Parts: sequence; C-alpha cells; structure tokens
Amino acid sequence: MIRVSHLKKVFFDKKRGKIEAVNGIEFHCRKGQIFGLLGPNGAGKTTTLRILATILQPTAGEVLVNGFDVVKEAHQVRQSIGFLSGETGLYDRFTPRETILFFGRINNLPDEEISSRMKEIFHILGMESFQELRVDKLSTGMKQKLSIARALIHNPRVLIFDEPTVGLDVITARIVLDYIKEFKNQGKCIIFSTHQMREAEKLCDQIAIIHEGKILSTGSLADLQQKFQENDLEEIFFKLVPVKVEDKL
Amino acid sequence: MNWNNIRLIYLKEIQGAIRDRRTLISMIVIPLIFYPLLFLVIGYFSVLGQKNSEAQPSAISIIGAENATQLVTLLKQDKDIEIISSESEANPEHELMEGSIHLTIQIPDMVEENYAGESKTTPKPIIIEYDSTAQRSQTARKRVLILLEHYREGLIRVRLNKIGLESDFLEPFQEQWLDLAPQEKKVGFLLGSILPHFIIILIFVGAMHSAVDITAGEKERGTMATLLVSQLSRLEIVLGKYFSVMTISAVSMFLGLIGLSIALLVPALLLGETFLAGVHFSTTIFFLFLLTLIPLVGLASSILILIGIFARNNREASTYITPIYMIAIFLAMISLSQGIELAKPLFLIPILNNSFVFKELLIGTIDKTHLFNTVVSNLLLALLALRAATRMFQQENVLFRS
Repeated sequence: MIRVSHLKKVFFDKKRGKIEAVNGIEFHCRKGQIFGLLGPNGAGKTTTLRILATILQPTAGEVLVNGFDVVKEAHQVRQSIGFLSGETGLYDRFTPRETILFFGRINNLPDEEISSRMKEIFHILGMESFQELRVDKLSTGMKQKLSIARALIHNPRVLIFDEPTVGLDVITARIVLDYIKEFKNQGKCIIFSTHQMREAEKLCDQIAIIHEGKILSTGSLADLQQKFQENDLEEIFFKLVPVKVEDKL
Repeated sequence: MNWNNIRLIYLKEIQGAIRDRRTLISMIVIPLIFYPLLFLVIGYFSVLGQKNSEAQPSAISIIGAENATQLVTLLKQDKDIEIISSESEANPEHELMEGSIHLTIQIPDMVEENYAGESKTTPKPIIIEYDSTAQRSQTARKRVLILLEHYREGLIRVRLNKIGLESDFLEPFQEQWLDLAPQEKKVGFLLGSILPHFIIILIFVGAMHSAVDITAGEKERGTMATLLVSQLSRLEIVLGKYFSVMTISAVSMFLGLIGLSIALLVPALLLGETFLAGVHFSTTIFFLFLLTLIPLVGLASSILILIGIFARNNREASTYITPIYMIAIFLAMISLSQGIELAKPLFLIPILNNSFVFKELLIGTIDKTHLFNTVVSNLLLALLALRAATRMFQQENVLFRS
C-alpha cells in the first residue's frame, strides 16, 4: 500500500544552506500493518510523512501510496489517505458535527454518506455527547478524537499519523493508540511516526529507526532484537544513534 | 477548478468570521454603534455649546466710556450685551482670562470728536481685548464687531454730511452674488472631501483581521495542512478565501457607510439642521460608484491575502500590513486637500485614483478616462496580486516557513 524508494528531500535555508532532511530512504508498508518511523526530533519523520500526504514534493525518489504516485497522481493519493498530526488542526469556532461535515464535503462525499459515516464514527469514538459543542470548549482528548474522526470520514485505506500522541496526557494517548490498533484490525495500512520507544514497541509491526534523514535499520521488533542481540528497543536505538557530547549537554 | 469547492471554502470562512467576536466588533459594533455615537456626542456638544453661548448675554467691560457716548449707547441698547463694571478697573484682563468678563473695550481720550472729523490729529485706536479660546468671548467679539460697524457707518455719514455728500457716495454700485450650485452638488462637494478617505479606511480595516486570520492564522494554528491533504486544489482554496475576504471587506464598508450616514443624519435631525436634505444621487452615479468600488475591494483583499499567505503567523502579517495601510491612508489623504487636480496618468495609481473618482462622482462629474483608468488599473493590480498569492500558496517554502 505504501512503497517508498530512494526518497530524498532537500531544503534550502539562507543561513544554513542546503539541508538534506530526507536522504535516500526506502521502506514499504502493507495492508493491515502498522509501520513506525522512530527517531528523534529533526530526524526527517515529519518531512517523510508530509511527502506521503502530498503536502511536500520529493526532491528525488519515488513514493507510491495505494498504487498512486504522490507527484503525478496527488489527487488520487489524497483520496486514499487520512492524515493526522500532533497539531489537531481543528477550527475553534466550529462544532465537531460541522467540522466533519466540512471535511466530508471537501473530500467530495455526498451529504447522506457523510451523515451515516459521521454517526458511525461518533458512536465508535464515543463523541455523541459533545458533537454540538464548539471545538474551543472541548478537552484535549475530545479534540484528538475529533481529529481522528476528521481523518477517517472519507474512509481512507491508508492512515498517516505524525506523532499523534505528542502533548497528550497518558489517558488520551492511550485512547489514540487503542484506535490505531483497531484501524489495523480493519485492514488499513498505517504509517506512524514517534520518538517514544514504548509506543513503537507496543504498536508497530515494522519499525524503521530514522536519524539525520537516513533509515539506520528496519524490521519487526523481533528482527531488531535478534539483529542487535538486545531486548530493549531504547538500547537498540542508542546503539544505532550515537549520543554526541554536545547532545548530552 | 471546481466552483463548488470554492463555495465550500468561502462558506466556511464566512461562517468562521461571523462567529468571531473580533470580526463582529470591527464590522458591526464599531461602524454601526460607535461611530454614530461618537459623532452624535461630539456634534451635539459642540452645537449645544455654541447655541448656549449665543443664548446668553456677553459681559463687556468698558474703560473710558465717557469718551464715546454714542458707541456706549449702541452697546447698551443691544439686549445681548451686558455692560459690567470691572472690579479691578486697572486690570480687567485678569477677569477676561478668568471668564467673568467676555470682552473689554478701552476707549482713548477725546475720541468721538476725532472720529467725527472734528480734530486734525490722528485718532488713537480703540483697544478691544478678547480670548479666542473661549466660546463666549468669541460670541462677544462677533456682537461687538457688528455694533462697531454700525458705529463706523454712523460716523462716516456725519463726516459726509459735513462736506455735503450723501451716504451713497461711498457705494457707486450695488452687487448681488448668486450661488448656482444646486444643493445636491453642495452636499456632494462636502461629502467628497471626507467620504473617499473614510471608504478606503473602512475597506482595509474591515478585511484586515479576517484576511490575516484565514491565511497566516491557519498556518499558525496548524489547520492549513488538513486543507492541503483534502481534495481541494490550491487555487480553489485561495479563491474561496479571497472571495470571503472581499465579502467581509464590502460588508464592513457598507455597514460603515450606514454608520456614517446615521452619524451625520441623527445630530442634524435632532438639532433641526438640514445639511443632508438635498442628497439625491442618480442611478448612473450610484452604478459608477459601485463599478469603481468593487475593483478597489478586490485589490485590497488580494493584497491582504497575499501578505497573509506569505507571513508565518498573525503577528508577522500585522507587521507587514501596517506600512501598506499607512500608504493607503496617505494616498487617500491627498484627495482631502481642496483644489488639487490629478493628471490623467496619475489615475493609474490605485487608491489615489479611487479617492479622486469618488470625489468627482459625488459632485456629479463623470469623466470616462478617469473612470476607465481607475477601474482597469485596479482590476489588473488585483489580478496580479491574486496570481502572486496563488503562486505563493503553491510554494512549500512559503507554506511551511519556520
């Protein structure tokens, strides 16, 4: 469902010059699988996911999502994906019902279909009680549920989650992770970025450790444990990503 | 490009703006309540102050009254003048500045004879003291000026009689001035000096907050990415936002004009003034007004959207907008000065052209070249700015600047 080959993304900054945010990464993710991109801040996770979501254009390489090229067939790619990031990206002055109606419509769904899917999603996520409240009156957990509902309204086959638990309290983060597992059971292809080892350990079928725009190692948790003769993912991570003296300071 | 998608973005932005308290305050409360109230209070008190001061007698102190008995008689006969004796005759200025006396007249010795031409020596001046910053002193001055004129005429008659001439000797002809400007044009001329400036401010101020909120604000809140991964094309997003800013700008201008009309009409009605009684504009003028107004609204909106898309956040956008707004105000201010004629090529300069064309239309002048230059240059610039905004919206280094 997702195939990334030789992906490169270069940014130019007046002060810092050429920045290789993503430098030749490759991976693939199948239907019913959770693929985790594990790496520190600035590793290239968000850039990779934004390219997958067609928000950014790759400098080189090929990315296929649900069989469509992110550059040449961006429109079809957008039909196939649901995108969610740590920033909830919601409009404060709208209610959850209005939010979902708007996002359903801009994804070309007819109103009847939006209504029935909204009812179903609100029921699954337990959102009925606050569907008529304005977003600025909702708690963080409620907002994150709404963000999930927004990403799901057009029933995408691929879900792209960019650090979806950042800034959430333990309970809300748990709810989000439980839903991600549930989507996997529904046969969706999920790509998910995090810098938290525990999340990656518990959730991902495949983990790619990414650092400075490069994938240092990929495989299932068991594969990585065997390869590095180490049970703890955090230890594996630090074997791959050396901590520099200035980082410690 | 799908117009239905543009409509979806448009409606979303309008709905968001209606629910935003700040937009409502700048669009409805300020123009419809604040402006009329402000004008009403200021107008009411200034007219009331003037009327009050005219209704009360002026207290005048005269030093040397015995030197000009005729003048003093004239002053005493005027029921609006009250001659009072100064408590400190040597220094009535003190009481004048305190406000207990509104004017002082100091008549030098032996004047009446001098004035009547009975003495050959040059007469000393009558010294009149008043306070130009006090309303009642100003009123006293007006009253005394009229009486002095009568006094002067009386003396001149005496002088003429002495040498055997009639009083019409000094008036070889009569004159009559007639103002042919109709009331409509007079009002138009007066409105033309303030209205263009006001309209341009309203167009910018009304749209400013919304334009920034739905562009830089969306970036700041992280909602832009969710729009970009939808089925909408970037052009559809920009156009939807653009039309919503145009609508908000036009509505706030319209409400502002209603507010201004209320502000001008209410005090006039309350105080029985008939300043706006003759206001009536023809359908052609009204249509031409709209024709020049729409491209201006379009231009202001496209510039605001362009800045909003470029800026990283609300604060940065506001910083960029401030100088643009100042330039707009400056260009609009040029038309406030009376007597400036704009050369035809200068009608290609946006805002400046509008303020002059509005002024022309308000007094009923229709200059086709001016209108054409204004409409075409504003439309072209609006399209250029919109095109730049759309291009910028497609650049990831602008959308994800950090």
